[in-house]
Amino acid sequence: MPQFEPDFFSSLIFWEVISFGILLFVLYKYAFPGILSALEEREKKIKDSLDQAEQHRSEAERRLKEYEAKLNTAGKEAEAILATAKERAQRLLDENEQRLTAEAERIKGDATRQIEQERRKALQDIRAQTTELALMVAEKVVQRSLVEADHKKYADEALEALSKSQPR
Amino acid sequence: MEESPLHQFELQRWVPISIGGLDLSINKAVVFMWVVIAVAAVLMVMAGSSRKLVPGKLQSLAEMMVDFIRTMIMETMGKDGMRFFPLVATLFVFILFSNYIGLIPGAYTVTSQIIVTAAFSFLVYGISLVVGFSIHGVKFLGILIPPGTPGWLVPLMVPIEIISQIARPISLAVRLFANMTAGHVMLAVLFGLTISGGLLIGWLPFVFTVAIYLLEFGIAFIQAYIFTILTCVYLGDAFHLHGHEEHAH
Repeated sequence: MPQFEPDFFSSLIFWEVISFGILLFVLYKYAFPGILSALEEREKKIKDSLDQAEQHRSEAERRLKEYEAKLNTAGKEAEAILATAKERAQRLLDENEQRLTAEAERIKGDATRQIEQERRKALQDIRAQTTELALMVAEKVVQRSLVEADHKKYADEALEALSKSQPR
Repeated sequence: MEESPLHQFELQRWVPISIGGLDLSINKAVVFMWVVIAVAAVLMVMAGSSRKLVPGKLQSLAEMMVDFIRTMIMETMGKDGMRFFPLVATLFVFILFSNYIGLIPGAYTVTSQIIVTAAFSFLVYGISLVVGFSIHGVKFLGILIPPGTPGWLVPLMVPIEIISQIARPISLAVRLFANMTAGHVMLAVLFGLTISGGLLIGWLPFVFTVAIYLLEFGIAFIQAYIFTILTCVYLGDAFHLHGHEEHAH
C-alpha cells in the first residue's frame, strides 16, 4: 500500500500541522465566535419569548380570576341589595297595614263608643221622658177620676207619645 | 489500460522542498489539504459572519454542525469541556471536509493517508494525557485500574488496560484511514470493472459504483463523527477519571 511507504511522511505531517493550525486559527478567530453567539442569541431569544409568553399567560389568568372574583362579588352585592330592598318593602307594607288596621280599629272603636254613648243618652232621655209622661198620665188619671174605658185610652196615648218622643 | 486500485493513493513530489534534510515537498495530498482548509475556512467564516436571527441555508448548516459538536462535548465532558470546543470542532471540520472533498472524482482524500489520521489521533491522545496528568497528577495512572477491580486482579488488569490505552490512538487512526481507503479502493475496483466490462455487462458494476458512492457519503460523515466523539470520550476520561462509565471502543 502506498500509504505505508514512509517517503512522504515528513512532508505530510509538516503540512498537516501547518494546515490544521491555520484552519484552527481562522475558525477560532472568525467563525466559531459568530456561530456560537448566534446560536446562543437565538436560544436566549427563544427562551425569553417562552418566558414572556408564560408570564403573559399567568398574568391573563390572574386577571381572569380577578374579574371572576369581582363579578362574583358584584353579583352577591346585587343580591344583597335586592334582598334588603325586598325586606324593606315588605316591612313598609307590613307597617302600613298594621298602621291602617290600627287606625281602622281605632275609628271603629270610636264609632262604637260614640254609638254606645248616644244609645245611653237616648235611653236616659227615654227614661226621663217616660217618667215625665208617667207623671203626666198619673196626673191626668188623678185629676179626671177616670172611668174604666178611659184607662186603656190614656195608656195607649201615653205609649204613642212615648214612641213619638224616640227618634228611631 | 488496467490500473491498480491502489494507484490513486500514490503521491509524486510536485514541488520538491527539503529543509535540513527533512523532505517537505508539496504533493497532491498537501495541495488537497490546502483545498480542504480553504473551502472549510471560507464556508465557516461566511456562516459565522452572517449571524441572522432567522438563518439562511449556510448559516443553518454551520449552526447545526456547531450545535452538534457542542452537544457532543456537553454530553461527554460537561460544561468544562467547552474549552476544547475549538480543537474538537476544527478536527471535525477538517476530517469532514477531507472526506467529502475526497469523494469528488479526481480529488485526493487526505484522510486516506495513515500518517495524517495517525497525526490527529496521537495529537488527541497526547492532549488527553496532558489534560489528565495536569488535572489529576499521578492519580491519573488510576485510569489503568477500572473502578471496582478487586486487589488481586490489579496485576492482571494493569497490563490489559495499558494495552487498551495504547490501542486507543492506533484504533482511532486506523479506523478512519481504513474506512476511507477501503471505500475508495472499492469504488476504483467497481469502476475498473465497469470500464473493462463494456456496455453489455459494465452497467452492473456501474450501478454498484453509484450505490457505493452514495454509501460513501454517509460513511464520510459517520467517520468524521466517530473520530470526533472518540476524541471527546478520551478527553472526557482524562477530565473526569472514572467519572463516567468506560466507553467501548
